[in-house]
Amino acid sequence: MSEAPILEVERVTKTFGGLVAVNDVSVSIPRGMIFAVIGPNGAGKTTFFNLLTGIYKPDKGRILFDGEEITGRDPAWIAARGMARTFQNIRLFGSMTAVENVMVARHVHTKTSYADALLRTPRFQREEKKALERSLELLEYMQLGHRAHELAKNLPYGEQRRLEIARALALEPKLLLLDEPAAGMNPQETEDLQRRIVGIRDDLGVTILLIEHDMQLVMSISERIAVLDYGSKILEGTPEEVQNDPRVIEAYLGRGAAEGAS
Amino acid sequence: MLEILIQLLPSVLLEGLILGFVYAMIALGYTMVYGVLELINFAHSEIFMAGAVAGAETFILLKGAIANPFLLLALAILIGGAVAAIVAILVERLAYRPLRKRGTTNRLVPLITAIGVSFFLQDLVRLIEGLWHNAFYRRYPSFAVFEATYNLPNWIGVLTIALTVWLGFWVLAYFGDWLIRLFAKKPRATGRTLSLVAAGLTLVFLFLYRHVVFADLGMTIQMKSILVIVVSLAMLYGLNWLVHKTKLGIAIRAVAQDAQTASLMGIDPDVIVSRTFLIGGFLGGVAGVLFGLLYTLVHPYVGFIPGIKAFTAAVLGGIGNITGAAVGGLVLGMLEMLGGTYLTFLTNGAMGTEYKDILAFMILIFILLFRPQGIIGQQLGEKV
Repeated sequence: MSEAPILEVERVTKTFGGLVAVNDVSVSIPRGMIFAVIGPNGAGKTTFFNLLTGIYKPDKGRILFDGEEITGRDPAWIAARGMARTFQNIRLFGSMTAVENVMVARHVHTKTSYADALLRTPRFQREEKKALERSLELLEYMQLGHRAHELAKNLPYGEQRRLEIARALALEPKLLLLDEPAAGMNPQETEDLQRRIVGIRDDLGVTILLIEHDMQLVMSISERIAVLDYGSKILEGTPEEVQNDPRVIEAYLGRGAAEGAS
Repeated sequence: MLEILIQLLPSVLLEGLILGFVYAMIALGYTMVYGVLELINFAHSEIFMAGAVAGAETFILLKGAIANPFLLLALAILIGGAVAAIVAILVERLAYRPLRKRGTTNRLVPLITAIGVSFFLQDLVRLIEGLWHNAFYRRYPSFAVFEATYNLPNWIGVLTIALTVWLGFWVLAYFGDWLIRLFAKKPRATGRTLSLVAAGLTLVFLFLYRHVVFADLGMTIQMKSILVIVVSLAMLYGLNWLVHKTKLGIAIRAVAQDAQTASLMGIDPDVIVSRTFLIGGFLGGVAGVLFGLLYTLVHPYVGFIPGIKAFTAAVLGGIGNITGAAVGGLVLGMLEMLGGTYLTFLTNGAMGTEYKDILAFMILIFILLFRPQGIIGQQLGEKV
């Protein structure tokens, strides 16, 4: 079971009106891998994420997550089964504190009934306490412990990015999707992030799928890379293979550049 | 003349406060539903009515079986709240959710649906009551214990007058400060100066009127009013705790801020919306029972005026904001009572208490025109 890929995407297509955003894409992601999806702007990377998480329903194809078909399921259902994500443009609950943001994602792991809540039974108190403690642990893990009770919107940009990851981890995901985690970061922050992503995979055994424009980051941590261009997967391989493929240079810089390079 | 007006003030404010608590509890239902769905649930006044009628039936049916009026009231509150909560959940399931699932983006559609649901519920209750009793006006039985009147100590009244006068001067100072800045572009320090002046004037005023202030104000309160205050405070406290300290509350706030992100964190927005209707409906139902206790007569159309007043209160405090709804309810209740009482005096009886409704709706119009975000503000993102 654990040898089977965590995520299998089979020939998925999504169109908006006449625009084919994702075209017949198949990807298989083994457990424990750091897998990157790259491609120029508008290549359909974020649409691809939205298909995985259930925001969009694919027109064709199917998606298997942890051996279970999730095609066309609701986002909440998919998330509860262990797929968590962060966002390209930060989407924290701004007027909630950092720890509350994390507790939102603990929701599915907290088991209390309304009778428990109303009567404040020991079980209720235990569960709420556990959720709070676990959330604080995650904040510590992302080095945000000192910010626990500040409103998310008041945190500096880099910490907001880390908080998004902490929140995603609170779901206890099997697969973590990171949508441009290094966007807007300076080189030092990016380096820090790089270590952190590898750390998350090693410490928690979470498979990581990331979209990223920072090639230095992608090439140094990814074990496998898929390249999207105009919604189609044009290539998949190791960083070395991808780096040296003329099709990738062409996709990013246009045909002339590719010819000049080769 | 002025002395009478001042002597009346504490009693009027107290009455307003009691009414305000009822408004506040209904307003919470509007504001919470708006928080998660951005929908003005105009059927909420009928959810309130369902609670009021269910409470009346409970009282009437169990009056013979249970002798203790307090126990009876507790049961009526529970049943009224439960019936209203069930009605609220059904309304969401049968009327609003299908529209949401259909992806209707026009916000007028759910609004008109709400009004339709409202009429439907009014006449449904009328039908049920008509078939059951052959009459649809129901009266809350009166109990000597509830009607009992207690005298309040004089210092409460004195304190109320002092606070009101101080608040009045403070508002004047604030307004004056605004005027000064508008015309003279003076630095902001004037505001603080003026509020100091206001405090000073309050003391002078109290000194001048001490024979009024220290006279016996004769404030009284009925047992049922005390019960209304106690139950409302308990409900408001409970709601505050629920929203801020439980996982359901955190989930409600998350959905209110960003339903899609919440769903990506494993929270099913439909479930949370349903729970929100449950909570809002329960509070509305309890408010219905308290309303019945205060005014005794309830019928299928009783929800309209309190409902729209509570909507005004929710807008006044800042729709989508829980604290705002509570504050808006209390402020509206007091303003209405003040207006209702003092208009009669000031116009020599030409304009009676019936003008209090006009006053409430004028407040709604002015708030919508000049401060649509309400007193407390904090719309949308910060809501619930």
